[in-house]
Amino acid sequence: MSFWRQVFEITRKDLLVESRTAEVVTMTAPFGAAALILIPLAIGTDAPLLSDLGPGLYWIVVLLFGMLVILRKSAVDGQPQRDLVRLLGIDPAARFAGAAIATSALIFTFELVLIPVLIVLYNPDFGSWPWLMLILPLVAIGMGLLGTIAGGVTTGLGTRVSLTPLLVVPLSLPLLLGATQALESLRLGRSILPWLVLLMAVDLALAVTGVLAARPLEEAVT
Amino acid sequence: MTALRRHWLETVAAVAVALSLFRSMTVAADVTQGDVQRIMYVHVPSAWLAFLAFAVTVVGSVGWLRTRDRRWDRLAASSAEIGVVFTGLAILAGMIWARPVWGQFWTWEPRLVTTALLFFIYLGYLALRRAVIDPEQRARRSAIMGIVAFIQIPIVYESVNWWRSLHQTSSRNSIDTPLRVTLLLGVVAFTFVYAALLQRRLELARLEEELEIRHLDSSPEVAGAGITAPALSTGEPR
Repeated sequence: MSFWRQVFEITRKDLLVESRTAEVVTMTAPFGAAALILIPLAIGTDAPLLSDLGPGLYWIVVLLFGMLVILRKSAVDGQPQRDLVRLLGIDPAARFAGAAIATSALIFTFELVLIPVLIVLYNPDFGSWPWLMLILPLVAIGMGLLGTIAGGVTTGLGTRVSLTPLLVVPLSLPLLLGATQALESLRLGRSILPWLVLLMAVDLALAVTGVLAARPLEEAVT
Repeated sequence: MTALRRHWLETVAAVAVALSLFRSMTVAADVTQGDVQRIMYVHVPSAWLAFLAFAVTVVGSVGWLRTRDRRWDRLAASSAEIGVVFTGLAILAGMIWARPVWGQFWTWEPRLVTTALLFFIYLGYLALRRAVIDPEQRARRSAIMGIVAFIQIPIVYESVNWWRSLHQTSSRNSIDTPLRVTLLLGVVAFTFVYAALLQRRLELARLEEELEIRHLDSSPEVAGAGITAPALSTGEPR
């Protein structure tokens, strides 16, 4: 089986598992939406203020609640599943790429589901919709890659649930900054190119690191 | 004399720190900020040292992945610990300086926020090391995290340029020579302190590892190890 075929099969497997429970859409996304409803009750319900703060709050919810998506993925892959994939002779890099693509797709879905909630509750000014459709997947890819690396590093540890967010959340700073600053630039009519380059550079760096680290990670969890 | 030879690095570090402190206290005060500016002679070298320490952690991590030699892992871990301490010191010194100059300990300023997050990233790295008991697995997992964590460093460094903020940008060419010399002396002194601490921490890490191995070798059998499972019945009549 070719490398890309292996990547495809791993992605398909992960998405198939998700499609059977639809946990991201039916549980995590409503949880995120509930957070978006609760936040104004804590900070005040001033409509212009919420319109300004909305995009930033949206990214915070995506980042923190996206952790549930990441943790869910690494919880589903138990030792028997990992052993089976290993016995099938799947390349560790293909496993990493497949898992990262599936996690990114789930986070992207989570982002998309929350967008209408954000618009209804906060009425934010995005400036340009096509650009937003480029920013969303770039952030999802970054989080998916980061989550897959951190998930791999903490696999099998008793402290996985608390340790993975501690590793992922501070490291997602460039993604959060790139996303919020790009939206801010769009709103003010400025160029968002530098922020897109930052997001792409971070995604690329994480992808290269993840692929190179796949084999040592595989050995670490054996 | 023998003790001095054995502890030459600590001696050099102590002399350098003493010189740096003396110079920091005696050099002319900044015209606008006054004496409070002297905190910079601790803040800037601490920040520099944190970057250096984390860069060494990456070198150690890559070295371990390439050679699987435990010494690289010890280097990465020891350097990260020192880096965390100096990142904390840089933040603390910055906050003490900010109170009289900016009017508050903390502002939502990019360099400050990114540095605080850097502190948490490496706390996570150290937490990961504590969470894994097997030395081989610990080295492998933390080597990967040590490399990924370094992505943050250029962002912290460039944050003041990327986002216009209150924090001063690089002042290499804009400050007077006496102040620059004092800062440089601080950087050199702190670098010696780092080298001395790293040397001691590496030694300690080696001893810890030896103790760990000795403990594993001498540990008694686990409870119940002597109990064997009863033979399965064949189902045949006796």
